This record gives sequence, C-alpha cells and structure tokens, in this order.
Amino acid sequence: MSNGMFRARITYPKAGRLRFLSHLEVTNACERAARRAGLPYAVTQGFNPKMKVGFGPALPVGTGSTCERFDLWLREYVPADEVLVRLQSASPSDLAPSEACYVALRAPALTVSLTIAGYDVETGESGSAEDLQGFLDAVVKTGELVVEHKGKQKVFELTSTLPKEPTVRSMNGRVVVDITTRMSERGSLRPEALVMAAFERSGTGGSVLSVTRTHLAEEEEAVRRLL
Amino acid sequence: MSDLWPRIEPLLASVERPARYIDREWGALHPIDPDYRVALVYPDAYELGMANQALSILYERLAAIPGVAPERAFVPWRDMAEQLRGNDVPLFTLESCTPVGEVDLLGITLPYEMTYSNILEILDLAGIPLRSDDRSDSDPLVFGGGPCAFNPEPVAPFFDAILIGDGEEAIAEIVATHRAGRAAGASRSAILAALAGVSGVYVPSMYDMTSGVAVGRDGAPDRVTKRVLADLDSVRPPVSPIVPFMDVVHDRMTIEVLRGCSRGCRFCQAGMVYRPVRERSSDNIVRDVLAGLWCSGHEEVSLTSLSTADHSQLEDILRRLSRRLEGSGISVSLPSLRVDAFSVDMARMLGGGRKTGLTFAPEAGTQRLRDVINKNVTEEQLLATVHKAFSAGWHRIKLYFMIGLPTETDEDVRGIGALVQKVLDTARESVEPAKRGGIRISVSVSTFVPKSHTPFQWDAQVTPEEVRRRQEVLRGSMPKRGVDLSWHASGVSFLEGVFARGGRELADVIEHAWRAGARYDAWTEEFDLGRWISALEACGVDPSRIASRERDTGEPLPWGHIDVGLSVAYLRIERERAREAITTPDCTFDECTGCGVCPTLGVDVILGGGGRE
Ligand code: SF4
Repeated sequence: MSNGMFRARITYPKAGRLRFLSHLEVTNACERAARRAGLPYAVTQGFNPKMKVGFGPALPVGTGSTCERFDLWLREYVPADEVLVRLQSASPSDLAPSEACYVALRAPALTVSLTIAGYDVETGESGSAEDLQGFLDAVVKTGELVVEHKGKQKVFELTSTLPKEPTVRSMNGRVVVDITTRMSERGSLRPEALVMAAFERSGTGGSVLSVTRTHLAEEEEAVRRLL
Repeated sequence: MSDLWPRIEPLLASVERPARYIDREWGALHPIDPDYRVALVYPDAYELGMANQALSILYERLAAIPGVAPERAFVPWRDMAEQLRGNDVPLFTLESCTPVGEVDLLGITLPYEMTYSNILEILDLAGIPLRSDDRSDSDPLVFGGGPCAFNPEPVAPFFDAILIGDGEEAIAEIVATHRAGRAAGASRSAILAALAGVSGVYVPSMYDMTSGVAVGRDGAPDRVTKRVLADLDSVRPPVSPIVPFMDVVHDRMTIEVLRGCSRGCRFCQAGMVYRPVRERSSDNIVRDVLAGLWCSGHEEVSLTSLSTADHSQLEDILRRLSRRLEGSGISVSLPSLRVDAFSVDMARMLGGGRKTGLTFAPEAGTQRLRDVINKNVTEEQLLATVHKAFSAGWHRIKLYFMIGLPTETDEDVRGIGALVQKVLDTARESVEPAKRGGIRISVSVSTFVPKSHTPFQWDAQVTPEEVRRRQEVLRGSMPKRGVDLSWHASGVSFLEGVFARGGRELADVIEHAWRAGARYDAWTEEFDLGRWISALEACGVDPSRIASRERDTGEPLPWGHIDVGLSVAYLRIERERAREAITTPDCTFDECTGCGVCPTLGVDVILGGGGRE
C-alpha cells in the first residue's frame, strides 16, 4: 500500500479579514495547521517529500467563503471528529474547519470534481432588488460576457457558465445577488464581474461590497440539488 | 484607544498583497485591556520584517510583562502609504489597529543603513514629529536598537533613546523606567534622563557633539557601554512565534544556537560587536527546535547565528534532530557551512535529505588577501571540500567574495576568477562526464564597506568609480561558462559607507532625501542615488570625506562614545597585523587574544558542551 492510507476531507471557511489571503497563503496556512494539530499526515514520495494534500478550486484575494475544502492523507486512522477538533484548535479562527469526513482513496481530485460554485455578492446599493434583477436578466440574455483581467480579454459563454439564473434578494437592507457558476479549465467567471456588468447596463453604476462563496458542488450533485 | 480597522478595511481592495496589513496570524497576541502598548516597527516591508529574530524575541519578552501589549507595524508599501495619506488614516499597529502615534513606546529596529529613509516614513505616517527635540509629552517614546546602533549618530536626532547591544534584559528595564517616570508625573526630559541611567541606553539629546567628541550632560555617561546577555541559555528563544500567512523571506522556524563569533574576520562588524561567543546547550537547542516546530507548524527549521557551523556540538545536534524528524517531511537548514570542516555526513542531515545548494564564503581570491582579512581558509581546504561535495552528489555551490578590501590589487581581484575556475575544474573532475553540464557555481561579490568598531574602521572605502573598474576586472577574470556572477551596485555601497561612518550631520541629509521621495532604498528598483547626492549637496556634506578618506588612528570618531568592550589598542594591533598579512586565531578554541570584551563587560566565552576547550 502506498504512503497515505486514509483520505480525510476537510471543510473550512475563509472568513473575516482572512478573505484577503491569496490561495497560496490559504493552502500554506492549512498545511501548517495540520502540522500543529499533530495529525499523522502522509508525506509524498520522492526527491522533495511534502505533506500529501489536495485543495479545491482557488479563491481570489478578497473573496470569502463558507465552504472551502481540502483533502489530507493520513498514515493512521484518526476518527473524523478528532481530526476536526484537532484542526480547529490549531487553526486561526477565520480558517477553522467546520467538518471532517473520510472519502475513498481513489476519489477524484477536488479540483477535478468540484465544478459548480455558488456565491453571494453583496452590493453597496440601496436601489431596488427588482431593478437589479432586470438588468442582470438582460445581461444574461445577451449570451456572453466579456471580462477584462490584467489587460487581457476573456469571453464567457453564459449558458454553460451559469447553470442557474442569478437571483437578487434583499437582506438587512442590502441587495445581495446569488450567482452560481460552472468552472472549467478555461477559467472561472468572477461573480462580481456579472454584477458590475448589470450595474453598467443600469447606467447608474454601483459597487460590490463583498463576495462570498457559499456552495461548492460536483456536477451531478448540482444537477440534482441546485437546478 | 481607537481601532482603525473600519477605516483600513476599505483600502485593502486596491493595494498589492493585503496580507501585509491584516494581522490574525497564528501566534499574534491580543491581550485584553493592556495599560501599556509597545509598537515594534521594522523599517521595511512586512515580508522582510517578519524574518527578523530580534523583533520576535522582543515581542515575546514584552508579552511576559504584566499589562504590556506588544504590537507590530511595518512600513506600508508605496501604494498603501498613498492610500493612508489620501484617506487621512495614520500608521497603525497590526494587532489592535491602534494609531502608532497613540502607543506608549515605539521601538524601531536599525537593521541596515539603507532603511534610514523609512524611519522618517514611519514617523511621518504615524504623525509623530521627526526629531526628538520637537516631541511633546503626548508623543510615544521613540526607541531605536539593532545592528546599526553601533554608529547611531546619522539617525540619532530622530530617536529619543537608542539601546546598544542585546535587548533581552534591557527591554523590561526600559519599560519599567518609563512607567515609573509616568506614574510619578515626570516630564519627558526627566524620563529621558532616567533612561540614560539604564545600562546600554544612549539618549542622543543629552550629548553635546560640537567638539567632535560626545560629552554627556546632566549625568549622562560619556561612554555608553553595550548590553550583553551573558548566558543565552538564561533566556529561552521564542518557540511560539507568529506564523505569517504571506510568503516572507526566510519563511521557517528559526532557533538561534549561538551568539557572537570570534573567528576575527577583520572586515566583519558583527564579529567584533557581538563578542564573546555564547553557545546554547545542545539539549536546549534540540528541545526548542522540536517545541518550535510543534507550535508553529513550519516545514523547515534553521539553526541561526553568525556562524552556526562553529557550534561545538553541531554534529550531535543535527544527528538528534534528524532522528526525531525522520519521515515528517520537515528539514533542517544552516545559513552557511564551514570550508575547513565540511563533512558530507553532516551536509546530508540538512535540507531533509535533499541536496540543496551549499554555501561557502572564501571572501577573497588570494591567500595573501585572505590573511589580511583574517579569513582562515585555504585554497586546498576549499578545493577539498568541493571535491567531497560533488563526489557525494551535489552539483550546485554558492560562493561569497568581496572586492575593495584594504590592500587589494588587481591581482587579488583576478584571483577570485582564478579560484572560481579551480573550483569549477575540481567540481567537473569529481562527477561523471555525463553530469558535468549540470554543474552550477553561483558567485556573489559584494563591495567591502568599512564599518565602525572594526580594525578597518580607519580605512578608506574604494570610490564608486574604482569599484566599477574592479568589477570589470573581475568579470574579465571569471570562467565564461558554468558560473552565475552577481555583484552589488557601487552607488548603494558608497551610500552605505557614508552612513556607516558618518556623524550627526547626516540626519539633515536623510530628512532632505526623504522629503524628496526616498523610501525603500534597500530595494534596487526604488533606490535613486541622484536623490541622495542632491541631498548631500543641499546639506553641504561631502560624502567622500566620510567614505573615501583614510583616518589617522588618533582621530576622534563619531562612534567614539559607543563602547562595545573592544579596546582601541586591540583594533590598532589588528590593523597592523592586517597590513603585514599576519593572522590571529579564534579565541573560542585557542587562547584569549586580548580584544578586551570579556574583562570590560564582565562576561566569558560559553560553549554548548560546557566550558572552553
Ligand atoms: S576578551 Fe579574549 S576571550 Fe573574550 S572575546 Fe575577546 S579575545 Fe575572545
């Protein structure tokens, strides 16, 4: 049997100030927490042995989450609730895991299996939710969205990128947009880009206060549950 | 205390690397209701400052004092500084987002000369008057300390007080004196006078410098003697340090294994000012490394010091650590290895079994010049080491040299190229023909800058033009293939030399350059020599009189009132011996060579295995 007999799957948030961390900063922090937790983590074979871990799809700097995941291979079995408690006590609170379970050793990598992501985009507008919904629908109807990032243009084809229509709701006096996107090798649409496009269409402009990932799901699971 | 976070948060979306400003790292402390706040500020970016061990030691020492909250701040990068100024937000501490201007004690590290402009950036962003003379009772006490404190004069007017030497014990006395003064309702000047009575503390405003020799007023001692921690084992190193999220330089656990170095390299200020050698015991080192890894979760630990390979118990320590860390993926590293005592067994215990690059510092290209600087390394030892390492499977090596050393001739400069060629030849002969193409030798050549408190403190620094000429000679002498050559910009070294041996007149120059936009001068892309030259001209200071002039050994020096325990007679004798290329042995293993430090400071050499051999 290869090094790494057990594969634990951890769910953790990226909350508060720590949403300003980059993906690399988050993955480093999780690995360090696993070492501090004293878990019997497995180490990769070869020239440059490292902790055997696998992370889900990256989040950009500034975007928070309630549902990030990583897999941690263990040399010895530790009950899942103990894995959870040990990791919680070794993590900064805004990254402290909320769930731990075991998955099959041969399960596909998180980056491959998790293709659907849901977000809450909180806007800084007090305008009506209905109006914003109208503008969003109009953007979606055009069928594509051109996003500029670091001087490069990227075209997202919206029917496949948005498995579900974005919906707008009012929450504590704030207008929040719920957006579900499908991620692919060609890239993932930043949900705030869609909201900004709707603002542009409205002609009045607007701002995005925060973006939080609220779901991560596999394709089939999403088809079943989300749609 | 005001919490500035709500005003800082909106700024973070538009700045590079916001992780620099958000705190909340593992190990950061947030005591409840402290009555005394200290801001420890490193005069450079977060990613450099977080690697500084002195800050981490002081953070821990301060946290141990009841009621005291140690907090950190760093120099915001230009984009953030612009945001802060544009939105009227003052510089803040990371932990509680308190305005730095509202803390009780502001401690600024003096790590290298090229950070001097950033000291003013810190004070200005904090809204604290730049000069000690202009501060009032409501301003924090501004303290300095660190390697550049050994010639404090260029920055002296910006500080209320400067600690000379080790801070482990002094920090508590400083805080206690400040608190007692305030409790008694003492004025700022009375508190400063009391601080001048704390051993190792220099209060610049209490000295008259007009004659070129410092004269203490109102009871301030004419000479300030450095603080020294007699026994390193008496203070445990930080084993639960702050673990940064961001990828900082030296992103690993560090345990200081010894302090001081008495190999006696004549160019090396650290080797002179941090005497004597005090080793930590191997039991304590092993215990603290394991505890530190456990608490921090780091994947690497570095055993640090000026010369770790000199620790008398190193082999034993490495053996014990590799046994304990086996299979963990955690590696142990050392800053550099010894040319004269390289062992493959030992090198294998480093880098987690990986053949990471080996680093050696022959410093000069010819035996004559190595004798002048007292670098007791021979060509035979270097080549034998190279042979051993490459035969055992290494294929990369890094060599450090210097140019511009006293008495250097073009022959010495070409000697660097010749020695590198021999290293390359030896390396090639030591590996199978098929692997020869993969051999890389990195050669890093810095420019010698004479420093205070060394036998070369009276010598002239080579002018920038001459440095550039010698760099060309050097380039011409290097093997054409298999070598990566890098060197320092001559302008930076020149300015470093001016700060290293200049006096108080430089404070005006620093302020002038800062007002003209100087920041982050240690960063090549931010450094502008022209700005500094204009500042020197505007202030009527001739930099070549400071850097490029040989001094008479009887001339009063700007750092004459700073006493590190070395006798001037010793430095003079060492300078004479340098001129005659006579070496001086290491007092750690041989007998005392009479530098004066131990008797003056009342301390002794301590070896980790107990006693001197
Ligand atoms: S006084 Fe003697 S033993 Fe002490 S550091 Fe100096 S040379 Fe070494």
